[in-house]
Amino acid sequence: MNKRYVMVHDENKCIGCQACNVACRSENQVPDGVTRLQVRVEGPYGEVPDLHFKFDRVSCQQCENAPCVKVCPTGAAYVNDDGIVTINHEKCIGCQYCIAACPYKVRFINPVTLTADKCNFCTDTRLARGEQPACVTVCPTNALVFGDANDANSDVSKLLNSAPTYREKVHLGTQPRVYRIPARKGGIEA
Amino acid sequence: MNNIWGDMSQYNPVTWHWVIAVYLFLAGLSAGSLLIAIAMRWVKGDREESPVLKAAALIAPVAICLGMLCLVFDLTRPFHFWLILVNYNFTSVMSIGVLALLVFIPLTFLYALVVFRGQLATIGLGFLQGLADVLNGLRKPMETLLFALAVIVGAYTGFLISAMNIYPMLNTAILPALFLVSGISAGAAANAVVALLLFKTPAHDHELGRMHGIELPVVGIEMLFLFMLFCGLYFKGGAAAAALASLTTGTWAAVFWTLVVAVGFGVPLLSLLLPAQQRHGKGVMLLGALCSLTGVLALRHFILYAGQSYLG
Ligand code: SF4
Ligand code: SF4
Repeated sequence: MNKRYVMVHDENKCIGCQACNVACRSENQVPDGVTRLQVRVEGPYGEVPDLHFKFDRVSCQQCENAPCVKVCPTGAAYVNDDGIVTINHEKCIGCQYCIAACPYKVRFINPVTLTADKCNFCTDTRLARGEQPACVTVCPTNALVFGDANDANSDVSKLLNSAPTYREKVHLGTQPRVYRIPARKGGIEA
Repeated sequence: MNNIWGDMSQYNPVTWHWVIAVYLFLAGLSAGSLLIAIAMRWVKGDREESPVLKAAALIAPVAICLGMLCLVFDLTRPFHFWLILVNYNFTSVMSIGVLALLVFIPLTFLYALVVFRGQLATIGLGFLQGLADVLNGLRKPMETLLFALAVIVGAYTGFLISAMNIYPMLNTAILPALFLVSGISAGAAANAVVALLLFKTPAHDHELGRMHGIELPVVGIEMLFLFMLFCGLYFKGGAAAAALASLTTGTWAAVFWTLVVAVGFGVPLLSLLLPAQQRHGKGVMLLGALCSLTGVLALRHFILYAGQSYLG
């Protein structure tokens, strides 16, 4: 059976420390000034002393129906054999059609390669070596769970089957593969 | 940068800037000038080359080539441009546009050869005379193909940006039609300018008058399509209706009401109210045409910038 790699971000466990952000920059040699992954800290919400923050992971949502792949004229934005949406930098001309078309605005031009860039779940680096993505490994609170959702015994399948999750902008038909567990303290706006 | 999560500048939703707006304008202009000139030739069953047709034959290749320069030098890797010619993705409007342009562009040059076949020797292109005469024998099929491709190119500039469903103002069915029609009005205006200035056509020329006469319905359709676009957004509600704020707030609202509406539609339409004597004067015609061109260029900017500023 095909793999269906997904990621879950538990917004209850997340503390917004940006360890994932930094690990990603180092693993994927992301230059200064651009980012593949950031966790935006929103808030504080609530009344003193019961304040809480909301943590929003901003990175490629690994759409199963990816607008970036559809619009790319050269096939530089493509779906890898493992189902992960990634980029063939050799083929990219930098037209930025994919950057405009991405509903989550998570693509950018890498100032070093001058080609489009974004999170690819470390498919060409750590995943290829049989390891988990850098952000998942480094998270101090284990807020990130990654794996094959088509494997019923994987941790990620068990989590998806037991916790309520939501995904962003599903109304656009993108079928994102980044799931979020909403914070119990009003993670979803009232 | 003052967030712990890093720089936010890459997240600006406006990805494509004025160079792309100019490209969309030039491609539409190239297609529109040919559409109106060829259609008029067919209707009249002309045997000789009218000043309007000559203007279009000149504008079409020049405008599309300038447009391609904009497109190529807006790439972050302009010297890898050739990759788009050898790799195709048929779900990409850009890729389909490349295929259409690959036929359209050479054809505009060949058509210019045909239209100017009587002058080739005087401009030092006498060696192309044979080719021009052969092509003239194939004129009808050539014109038909060129006309069809001009429709495709004109509409493609709209499809290119309407294919992105994150932008509610762009992701509408009417956009390609709007761009096609406003390309025709820009084409007519450019034809008039070139015919008047370059080919020294008298302003009272019958042909120019006819083209001027078509302008009213074309502008009418253009305004109708714009109205439909805004109504569609309003009725859709939610994020789409929110995008209508672009008509009341910010720079692009000012651009829309002054340059698109007042200059682009207002001046040419008001000039129709002048007495026939003045209306057909060279100055008034030139002014009207330049205002139309400004309006269409401003419309491309408004749609591109306002469109990208509101997310679905
Ligand atoms: S989130 Fe954007 S970059 Fe990632 S797969 Fe979807 S469209 Fe492509
Ligand atoms: S910028 Fe590169 S990856 Fe993106 S659409 Fe253009 S060629 Fe494809």
